[in-house]
Amino acid sequence: MQVPEKPDPLVIKWARPFWDGTREEKLLIQKCSDCQKNIFYPRMVCPYCFSDNLEWVEASGKGTIYSFTVVEANAASPFVPDMPFVIAVIILEEGVRMLSNIVDCDIDALQCDQAVEVTFVRKNNEFTLPLFKPVPAT
Amino acid sequence: MRRGKAKGAIIGIGEVPTGRFQESEAIEFALKSAKMAIEDAGIDKDEIDCILPTAAMFSGNFTNEMATGRIVEELGLKNVKTNCNVWSGGSSSSNSLKIACAMLERGEVKNVLMVQAEKLATGIPSGQAGIDLFAFAGQSPEWEVPFGQNFSSLTALATIRYQYETGTTDEQMAAVCVSNRKWAELNPNAFFRKPLTIEDVMSSKMIARPLRAKMSNMLFDGGEALVVTSAERAPDVVEKPVYILGEGGLSTHFVFSQEPDMTRFGFREAGRQAYEQAGLTVKDIDVAEIYDSYPIYQIIGFEELGFCKRGEAGGIFLRGDTWPGGKIPCTTDGGMLSKGHIGAGGSYSLLIESVRQCRGTAGERQVPGARFAIETGTGGTYVDSHVTILGSEIP
Repeated sequence: MQVPEKPDPLVIKWARPFWDGTREEKLLIQKCSDCQKNIFYPRMVCPYCFSDNLEWVEASGKGTIYSFTVVEANAASPFVPDMPFVIAVIILEEGVRMLSNIVDCDIDALQCDQAVEVTFVRKNNEFTLPLFKPVPAT
Repeated sequence: MRRGKAKGAIIGIGEVPTGRFQESEAIEFALKSAKMAIEDAGIDKDEIDCILPTAAMFSGNFTNEMATGRIVEELGLKNVKTNCNVWSGGSSSSNSLKIACAMLERGEVKNVLMVQAEKLATGIPSGQAGIDLFAFAGQSPEWEVPFGQNFSSLTALATIRYQYETGTTDEQMAAVCVSNRKWAELNPNAFFRKPLTIEDVMSSKMIARPLRAKMSNMLFDGGEALVVTSAERAPDVVEKPVYILGEGGLSTHFVFSQEPDMTRFGFREAGRQAYEQAGLTVKDIDVAEIYDSYPIYQIIGFEELGFCKRGEAGGIFLRGDTWPGGKIPCTTDGGMLSKGHIGAGGSYSLLIESVRQCRGTAGERQVPGARFAIETGTGGTYVDSHVTILGSEIP
């Protein structure tokens, strides 16, 4: 059976700098110039203080796993060949949350609150996805 | 008895069995349920002056038909002032009821028909095509779909975090399925009615760790309807009106990963609003009709509404306190896990079951002497938390 392509992110125009950033292996998030709060996913207005003055800052790429799962069955067709694969919610050091995949890991050893860092995986000419991998214990 | 504190009253209920009905159209489920509810209320069909249908996920065309008056015409209703869809996924019944009560309290309308029908078993493709159809439903196409998120995985995310914070085990999660099945065995309108054990659940196929196949709902055909009138008018119409005593709600996210606390959602605040309006506490509640769809949401709802301390629900479901004859009967229609998932009908069904319990007409499932019921609904990827308190009397 031919496997359909995984869907590209459907980009909203004010999030374009985020995807331009990942292509250059930079993890950009928004910061409100008025209330100084960090924001992800990209917004048109600050969801904290309603300000329009949003700027882009580069995140450290470090964070922790809030929660995760290993998908073993019933994935959508494009993801079936990847099974088992890990989906996780990451809380970045900057305090924002994002959904991603954990790669380069022992899927049986993952834990909540485990330290992870971003790794950029090129999908095609237009998109590079920010995925995460465990940070080796020091 | 003080009257006027109640926000409205349910005077009629209608429901067709949940199942796979290849030969039937969704409109049949809607019309049968609606007719049943109107006849149950004992009013003339032309006394219905407002219809609030809801959307159906299996078909945009059917949804549009419901929104544009097919029920009005099919049933020949002559006095409908307002017919419009109210749609918020699994919380559609909660929101419809809120809107109905507000219109009734204002005197805008007298009898509101809420109606729902789905054909999610036989109206959509099966197998991988069916998985693909629903895989991306409700997920952000920019921030979640590209990473393979689906309803099973997001539910697993909530489950893992909850287990991490509370120590609840997989077996305790499976106990929710067993508890709901005990009730479904007694519900002729439920699909899964054979006994289910913890071992059955734990040996079923792994979908997304720790979520197994038998911890997941299955999609079916079905239909549900309610007739709602004002609290003042209700006692003159039916012998046993069931009053809407309190309603609460809170929207907490749109994109699932943005939920600030996926081990709680907004149920505590929604419950606070509903208890306060009703003038009741959890101790007054006789039956808890908590939205399931997966075990984690029923556990969270149960705890956040105060039926036990956080982290204790799993043990309670395992011990049997929520089963027939137990101290805190929960989700007595069998829930989406056993009665079956019929889209927005999941919470419609819980609302209808609350009415049966408060009327004393739940048959073998009847909780002896039940006066007050609490019911929950939540839509999309559990984006909103809704709580409704109903009673056979106004406290």
